[in-house]
Amino acid sequence: MTVPEPYDTASDNALSLAVIKLLKGVVYQDDDPDLWQQIMALQPRIRDYVAVLGLVFQLDEAEGYAWLATREDDTGNAPLPRLMSRRQLSYPVSLLIALLRRKLAEADTSGGDVRVILDREEVVSLMRTFLPESSNEARLVDRIDSHINRVAELGFIRRLRNQPDKIEIRRIIKAYVDAQWLNEFDQRLADYQRHITPADDTSDNREGED
Amino acid sequence: MDYASLSQLRRLHPAWRLLLADHAPLIISFLDAAFIQPNARVLAEAGLRSQLEDLLFQLRETHGEAAFPRSAGDYLNDWADNDKGWLRKFYPPGSDQAHFDLTPATEKALGWLESLTQRQFVGTESRLRTVFDLLQQMIAGTETDQQARLDDLHSRRAAIDREIARVEAGEIAIMDDTAQRERFQQLSGTARELLADFRQVEQNFRQLDREAREQITAWEGSKGKLLEQIFGERDAIADTDQGRTFRAFWEFLMSPTRQQELSEGLARVFELDAVQSLQPDARFKRIHFDWLDAGEQTQRTVARLSRQLRRFLDDQTYLENKRIMQLIQSLEGRALALRATPPEATLMTMESPQAGIHLAMERPLFSPPLRPVIESDVDAGDESDVEPDALFNQLIVDRQRLAGHIRDTLRDRPQATLAEVIERHPLQVGLAELVTYLSIASEDAHASFDDSRQESIHWTDETGTGRLARIQRVIFTC
Repeated sequence: MTVPEPYDTASDNALSLAVIKLLKGVVYQDDDPDLWQQIMALQPRIRDYVAVLGLVFQLDEAEGYAWLATREDDTGNAPLPRLMSRRQLSYPVSLLIALLRRKLAEADTSGGDVRVILDREEVVSLMRTFLPESSNEARLVDRIDSHINRVAELGFIRRLRNQPDKIEIRRIIKAYVDAQWLNEFDQRLADYQRHITPADDTSDNREGED
Repeated sequence: MDYASLSQLRRLHPAWRLLLADHAPLIISFLDAAFIQPNARVLAEAGLRSQLEDLLFQLRETHGEAAFPRSAGDYLNDWADNDKGWLRKFYPPGSDQAHFDLTPATEKALGWLESLTQRQFVGTESRLRTVFDLLQQMIAGTETDQQARLDDLHSRRAAIDREIARVEAGEIAIMDDTAQRERFQQLSGTARELLADFRQVEQNFRQLDREAREQITAWEGSKGKLLEQIFGERDAIADTDQGRTFRAFWEFLMSPTRQQELSEGLARVFELDAVQSLQPDARFKRIHFDWLDAGEQTQRTVARLSRQLRRFLDDQTYLENKRIMQLIQSLEGRALALRATPPEATLMTMESPQAGIHLAMERPLFSPPLRPVIESDVDAGDESDVEPDALFNQLIVDRQRLAGHIRDTLRDRPQATLAEVIERHPLQVGLAELVTYLSIASEDAHASFDDSRQESIHWTDETGTGRLARIQRVIFTC
């Protein structure tokens, strides 16, 4: 649908608002129930509109969030320029994301509390196990802090208002960190592992050293 | 109650451990004052902490500074820890502040301690009557024989007829004071227990939820079998005994006639002399509102748990979760092996949920950077014509006062112009005050500026000179 049809201005305004908010990032039901209502009502029109931009409107009604993703083109047309940028993730940031995803999955299997909130210390100890030993404790914590900030920029966690030491895992992480992504990560890590340890016996030695 | 299970209970049950705790008197008195006495369900961290700080302050006054060395926040977190389990700490949806609730175990310990101290007498008659009533209800409620039911109803009618006849004859039996007091005691006891039950009910629901989730996670067979196992034909949570009795209770309580009956009944009972002599807590008259509050909280929890559980059982989630846990485990193994030589290069990418829209037109055009000219020479003055008072006599315009003037002027009319406001409350400090009025008007949604009309504002400054300002008309409305 590329030809604009005459709509009444009030709902046009609502459509604009919904699309702009979605382009700016994930929309959560809890954060803005009014906007959420609008988005639910305007679903088909949002879908059509963002399709023009090469995007797919995604909605998880049960979890209460909506977001836009690049449409993977399978029609053989020349690919559109990307509107949603792809971010490069450093190894520790990727690892942190995977670990947070695990925390969320664990919380889901153990009880019905929707919100998963961790102390910064918990995140640090979560990460510490996998990072090289460092004699400078403060630097290690600083580094982990910067990884945390990076994950926050991606929108997978947020710090609680007035309590910067508390970190909430946002549920959208489920949409982005799926089995496919984790599998790719696992594969690449396996490739790297093979690359640095060509023979089996050296790998045994390395493990012994740790 | 054998030795082994009791010693395990003493080690593991939060209620028993609360009684054994070093600070038990502090914890129990505090929790009683914060939750039980005001019939409070859930309290926000900030309020609870300041309440505890007050108590700690008082205790330190009498028992010395070293009596309770830790901060109130520390204590609360400690009591909410899993190995203590006296408080439940959680973040309700939509709030970044932690909230606390008593655990049912704590409530039991508190209730038991209370039973040690209270009770002027133990009413046995009313309890016996309750037993008979319950027996009667069960027999009548399960009787399927039509004739037996009719017989029962007839015999009850006969009893009522006899009583009517007695009252008509002027024979009115009055319940004596002891019987009144006894019943009131049982009434208030049961009512409070009911409130306490909500915590247990909610905990039971949580337990049901956890059990269902454990079953789902550990399930090895087919999905269909799992659904059959968990749901059968029913909702995993709402259709348990716990769910059904709670729903029945809730419907009963929500009926407006029941609520009115409770309000009126409690009010009348409170006026009885015998009841007054017990000096009942006046808050008890409103206990059904506390029930409503507490019940609603439980209701919300149950609805949320049911919703969550259904989502958890959703096809994709169910299958993905297992796969995801496997993958992350494998990942963790590799990461651990690579601990000393982590990859430097970027392995992964991820799409951002934010569109990177940067319009060329939004970028600022080049403008030469402003070079401030810094005069480094300072000429020393002779201070002869400097009035230092100017530093101290800064003019302060009180916005609140001006806003008050606007409200005052609007009291007897639907709208007023700024000129009318100033006519009623003349400017006291001149132009600064006028500017503040304009600033208030520009921020106020109920104020408008009319560009087409002008108004004159007059005032007299401190030297006695008359001043005049011409401004566009400003209209305030209610």
